[in-house]
This record gives sequence, C-alpha cells and structure tokens, in this order.
Amino acid sequence: MIRPTIGELLSGVATSLRERVLPEIPAGTTRRQIQAAIGIIARVALVWDKTAPYLYADNMDIAETLERIQPTLERVAVEEDNPRVRAVLTKLHQTLEHSSEPLGPCPSAEVLGARNLELQEVLAEIQEALHEETAVESATRDGVNTELYALFRRMLTRELEITQPPRRR
Amino acid sequence: MSTAAANAGSILSEQLRELIRAQVPAAQNIEVTNLSPLTAGNTRNAWSFDASWNEHGIAQTAACVMLRKAEAGQLETPLIPEFEVIKALGGTGVPIPRALWIDPEGQWVERPAFVLERVAGTSDFPALLKPEGAETSRGVAEHLVEVAARLHTVDWQARGLGFLPATSVKTAAAQQVEYWESLFRRHRMEPHPMLVGAFIWLKEHQPVADRVTIVHGDFRYGNLLYEGKRINALLDWEMVHLGDPVEDLTWAYRALWTPASVMPLEEFVERYSKLSGIPVHPHNLIYYRLFNEMKHTIISLTGAKSFNDGRTRNIVIADRAATVTSYLIQFLDWLPEPRLRAAS
Repeated sequence: MIRPTIGELLSGVATSLRERVLPEIPAGTTRRQIQAAIGIIARVALVWDKTAPYLYADNMDIAETLERIQPTLERVAVEEDNPRVRAVLTKLHQTLEHSSEPLGPCPSAEVLGARNLELQEVLAEIQEALHEETAVESATRDGVNTELYALFRRMLTRELEITQPPRRR
Repeated sequence: MSTAAANAGSILSEQLRELIRAQVPAAQNIEVTNLSPLTAGNTRNAWSFDASWNEHGIAQTAACVMLRKAEAGQLETPLIPEFEVIKALGGTGVPIPRALWIDPEGQWVERPAFVLERVAGTSDFPALLKPEGAETSRGVAEHLVEVAARLHTVDWQARGLGFLPATSVKTAAAQQVEYWESLFRRHRMEPHPMLVGAFIWLKEHQPVADRVTIVHGDFRYGNLLYEGKRINALLDWEMVHLGDPVEDLTWAYRALWTPASVMPLEEFVERYSKLSGIPVHPHNLIYYRLFNEMKHTIISLTGAKSFNDGRTRNIVIADRAATVTSYLIQFLDWLPEPRLRAAS
C-alpha cells in the first residue's frame, strides 16, 4: 500500500483536528495542548518522507569533510606528537572506515541516524581536542575550524527542511 | 467548570488559607475567593485569587497571584532566590509585584510556590509586534529602557542580594557559559558538534563586564505587564543572577520578541547608557547576542528532553528541539570572524 502515504495521513489528521476538534475546545490549557499537538503532527506530516534522504546527505557531507581535514590532523599528530589529537584521529579513521561500509540497498532512517550520531561524535571530539590542546598552532586550528563551520552551516541549512519545512499550499 | 475542577479549586482554596494562616500568624477569618487558573507558563502554573483576613481588628485584603512550580519543564530553578529578589527590589523603582508569601517546599500547596500581589495590565506581547500596535510598542520600549537602566543601577549589595552567586567583571561571562554548557552536557540527546563549537567560541572570546549588576535573565517583551504605554511589572525572575547587564539588553532584542521595528537596538543602547551611566562596549554587545542564541538553544533542548523523558507531559514544549536550528543559524550569521561566518 502506497497511498495514503504516512505524510498524507498525518496531514489529514492535523487538518481534521484543526477544523473539527479545535473549535469545540474552549480557550485554556487543554486548547493550547491540542494546538501544540496539531502543530507537531503537521510538521511530522511534512518531513516524514524526507528523514532518510536528509540523514543520508548529512552523513555523506560529514564523512567528506572529515576526509578533507584528516591530513591536517595526521600532520599534527605526527609532527607535534600530540597524543590527544592522535586518539581523536584513531576514532576518525575507525568512523570513516565504518561509514564507508555499505548499508544495504535501502537503509532505514534508524540505521542512518545511528551512523549520523557516530559522525557527530567525531566532529565534537575534534573540536574539543583542538580547544584543549593549546600547543596546536593557531593556523592549523583556524584551518580546521573554517572547514567545520562551513559544514555546520550546510548541516543547519539541511536541518531547516526537517525542522521548519515550507508549508504545503 | 467540571466537578473535578471545582473540587480541586476548593482544596486549593483551603490550602491557600492554611498558607496564609502560617505566614500571617495574627490573621483571623481568612477567606480565599475568586480562585482561577491563569495562563500556565512552561515552568510555573499561575493562579489568581483574592484573599481577605482580619489582623488586629483591621480588615486586610490582597489581590494575589500564586506561581506554583510545574512538573519538569524547560528549566528547573529554585523558587527561594526568585522570591527573595522580588522582595528585595520592592521600593527601588523597578516595576515589580509585591512579594507576599512563599511555600518553598510545597508544604501547604503540594508543590513549591509563592504568592505575589496581582498587578493590573496585560502581557500580550504579540499585540506589540503587530503593525497596528506600533505606537503602543514604541511607548513600552521607551519605558523598557528606563526599567533596564533602573534595574541595572540598583545597589544589589545594599539591597541584601549578596546571596546570589558571586561574580566579577572578569568572570561574569565565564560563569554563565559554564552554567549553560553544564546544562547542555546534561540534557543533550545527541553530540551536537555545532553547539560544542559554539561553546568553545564563547569560552575563547569572553568580554570583561563594565560592572556587575542584577541581571533579570529573561528581560523581554512577554515578561512585562503593561497598560497603555507603561510597564506595570517585570515578571518571571527565575533566571535572575549577578552578571553583565548587556546580557539583558541583548536578550530583549532576540528575533522572537525584538522591539527593533519601533526602536532599533542602537537607539535602545544609547538611551540606556545615557540613563544608567553604563557604557555598552561593542564586543560585549555582539558577545551576548551570540551567547543568548546559545542560551535559548539550551533552554529549548532542556524542554524537549524533559518531555522525551516523561518528566513533563506539556505538549507545548515537546517539539522545542526543532526550534533551535534558526537560533544556530543566527549564531553563525553574527560571528565576527568572516572566515567562520561566511563559510558555506
């Protein structure tokens, strides 16, 4: 069964609640709770079918960015013999290796989400290591941060489609 | 009103009578009337009621609002400092309700609560943001500057507010960042690398405050009771602390409730400095604009976590995590370093 899609179904439920149920509820706490619930259902209706593609694109982008900053971190780990950066680098290698493993023909949002969390974790740890290891020269830090902030903006732009989707006409 | 609601109201009336009896020992013939729930906030449930009693033969009345701690919400802050600050600010010229009674442990009214005098006015801030409300909004914004200047020039030590966590001009920013980062680490549901980076930025660029003042912590349209163009009361003191006053100014100008359409931030700051004698340095201004985007982000993530954990069933805050994307984009847009801001 394809139709109604989950998105269509939820959208219909939100509309029914808004048009039929809400007018029957007097102003007050209960009405505000129902209004909030309708808002959430309407948002989920719009993004339900986009979640897996969103996570897939996010994972690809994070992995590609990590690959780009990997040589810089490798240089720091070797030239400056920095154990903290070396530890993060090991985790980065493992995560990238893991993320290049095939997920099967149709990975679920759950599988993609789990991989997204692993990649996020590495991003967080790289920043913490560079912040705490003051010996790392600032030009190196700036170079990595520029890459990471560019990634963050792309991630947020993608996230907007999920968190604040344009309303259907 | 349903029978269950009527019974609950009757029980609460009796509980409030007991609270007044305990805190006003000379009170006799205590009556609590017109008890009704007001709009519930995310962390406090509000009830309106009238109280009357006889004290040493003299009839007393009070129009009251009780703020009772809700189930877990976006923030969990203790009630006593909030109540004590409200009490201490009485008579300073800061528009504030009179603090009446407190039940810090929920001994009388089931959950921690305090009672304030009810103040006339509306807190309808969306009305101030509509084009047709511009004239009123301009007047309220002008008064808001005066309120900020008054609040930030209160001699907090003389007023006995030394119980608030101590800070200094050098540590004010660091303490706030540390506090909000600790909440972030406790309540995050995923690593959030962008937030990790943002907290690092805030730690690496801390400004020195011009002076340490009382900071309301949630100073904005929405936490005011106004009548016409005048502010009758500044509400919701649960995030009050000592710190850099610029934090309040920039919070008032966050996109969700900003009065910028009737008074640009530059004009607000200029008027404020003239009235208070407190200079506002550009670095502090941009720093606290960035900090406040993070602060609101953490408040929202904390609310979403509370709902997800089942510690609150308030649907209004259930999806708050979805609101933070725009705050974080705003953070990036305001970064002073072009190489970080312009990155795409």
